[in-house]
Amino acid sequence: MRRVPTSRWRDLLAKRALLCAAVTWLAVAGVPAHAGDDSAQQVKQGKKLFEQRCGFCHLAGGTGTIMLARRLGKERSLLSERTDLSAEYIQKITRVGINSMPPHNRIEVPDSELNLITTYLTRPASARTAADTGSTSGTP
Amino acid sequence: MRLLLPPRVTEKSFQRALDAFASVVGKPWVLATDLDRETFMDFYAAGDADEHVPSAAVGPQSVEEVRAIVRIANEYKVPLWPISRGKNLGYGAAAPCLTGTVVVDLGRMNKILEVNERFGYCLIEPGVGFFDLFNYLQANNIKLWMSVPANAWGSVVGNALERGYGYTPYGENTRNICGLEVVLPNGDLVRTGTGAMANSTSWQLFRYGYGPSWDQLFVQSNFGIVTKMGMWLMPEPEATLGLNIQLPNPDDVGWAVDELAPLRMRGVIEQSPSIGNSLRFVATRTQRSEWYTGEGALPDAVLREILKKNGFGWWTINLRLYGYEEVNEVHARIIKEAFRRHIQQEIEVVKWRRGDPIENSGAGVPSTQALQIVNWRGGRGGHIGFSPVLPATSEHVLKQFHSTKRRYEEIGVDYYGSFTLFERYTTNVNMMVYDRDDREMTSKVRALFKVLIADAAKEGYSEYRTHLSYMDDVALTFDFNNHALRRLNEAVKDTLDPNGILAPGKQGIWPRALRADRA
Repeated sequence: MRRVPTSRWRDLLAKRALLCAAVTWLAVAGVPAHAGDDSAQQVKQGKKLFEQRCGFCHLAGGTGTIMLARRLGKERSLLSERTDLSAEYIQKITRVGINSMPPHNRIEVPDSELNLITTYLTRPASARTAADTGSTSGTP
Repeated sequence: MRLLLPPRVTEKSFQRALDAFASVVGKPWVLATDLDRETFMDFYAAGDADEHVPSAAVGPQSVEEVRAIVRIANEYKVPLWPISRGKNLGYGAAAPCLTGTVVVDLGRMNKILEVNERFGYCLIEPGVGFFDLFNYLQANNIKLWMSVPANAWGSVVGNALERGYGYTPYGENTRNICGLEVVLPNGDLVRTGTGAMANSTSWQLFRYGYGPSWDQLFVQSNFGIVTKMGMWLMPEPEATLGLNIQLPNPDDVGWAVDELAPLRMRGVIEQSPSIGNSLRFVATRTQRSEWYTGEGALPDAVLREILKKNGFGWWTINLRLYGYEEVNEVHARIIKEAFRRHIQQEIEVVKWRRGDPIENSGAGVPSTQALQIVNWRGGRGGHIGFSPVLPATSEHVLKQFHSTKRRYEEIGVDYYGSFTLFERYTTNVNMMVYDRDDREMTSKVRALFKVLIADAAKEGYSEYRTHLSYMDDVALTFDFNNHALRRLNEAVKDTLDPNGILAPGKQGIWPRALRADRA
């Protein structure tokens, strides 16, 4: 599991221009979208946590999915199918929110859980598909 | 967000309190970085969220940890703001009223302790969300239905404590409370009702106990931290029958209230039908810019066109009957006859029988789709709600509707209101949706809110719930006998919480020490 260095994290937090900053990070992020060799187990755990913590809004038919479809198009509306999200971006947006999405604190989604969710969302599509085997249902 | 200390607390004392909290809950569960503070602020604030800034948050996992936190807070005079899951969106979310307060996030206390199908109740901790309880009932094939609010991201306990509403016959969520466990501001632990008997067999069955009944003392108050709640759940009915009714004209809300209110009071209708202006449906599906890009509030003619294209009347009523199929049919006939005295268009009927998919039943099925409305204006959306209570008559409803709509139009905000009917009263929820980055708009919304409070108070309409920023303003409108209720609340507050550590300012109730600061 690759962690965002603390000092850099703090730097990022100082910037509150959410969307613009996020776009910038997409370009310059130090954490590659598909870095690491996390185990299939971690990906599976991340998927389960994604469904539990983010699924209220970000599964098919959820309010986040609907909003993203409106803003970015249907093909980029389901986070679990995106391949353009960096770990840094996911962690930042989770903590500070974006547009209409409120922030999530570290009691609601502890860092350890957010790291696993990030692992799941930044794996190649093939690895995520493999995590579907034996996973929980889509109901959050 | 940088650290802002609570009043009269030094940085040294504050740090000692945090260390003491950490010794109770563990260091990872004391959150005090700049980022942490951001995550507990009022994300949807109209304007400056810096009015209500927490200094830190602490996340206990047990009742004993909550008690220890309260004792420490008393020792260091650090104020606490308990939240269940912090999703009080539109009312301040997780943020405290008083800047510098430490949030006590009860999200880790998320156990479903008991569900009793025979007697129709559950006993749960504050961190249990609507999705959690729904999934539990589904997974265990328990035939009990929940009352779920429009946005169901939050806590079952938190919503009932804030007097939230759902849409089933059990829709007055605070009325479903039956037995609380509460940590008092001095760290003592009490159970209300018959739960005060150590071996009680009826804690979740009998609301009142013996002597004074205390459950409502801890609703919308700062007199204790609720750590367990008994809540009644509705037995699954044999069938439901939905009637979806479109009212073509703005003033139709008047006769609709006069027709429905007696049926609601007599039990022909057992749930609380909501008469909402149909813009709410359009706003969850589309953005304003798709329809209108001009200045000011949406013109009536444009709204008419939008509603026509989407097949809506000016108001929409989604009414649902629950119970035995034959009884539902008879009640549906009575309701239809009432409407046919005024309108001739077809009323859509939706029927559900036990065994059909629950999504079409009228059961409380959690969803967050109602949050779509914050996207209506575009940009970084937000919303706030003004919610007075009125007598359920056309006279009051029409007066309030026209007055509020005119106020919206004066400042250029689209009117978005509903009237939900209970046995004798109606709650008039008026949503203001804005782009948080539009400073001119948010400052107008803040001004509008104060005007609406004053207008309503003049007519004798009180709010049932409000945002952090207006808790004092609304409390001031309860002015009988020179604010006797405030004196009572303050007397209770000072007795139970002499150090004033619990949720200062909640619902306009301030502890003695801080009242002096505010005078």
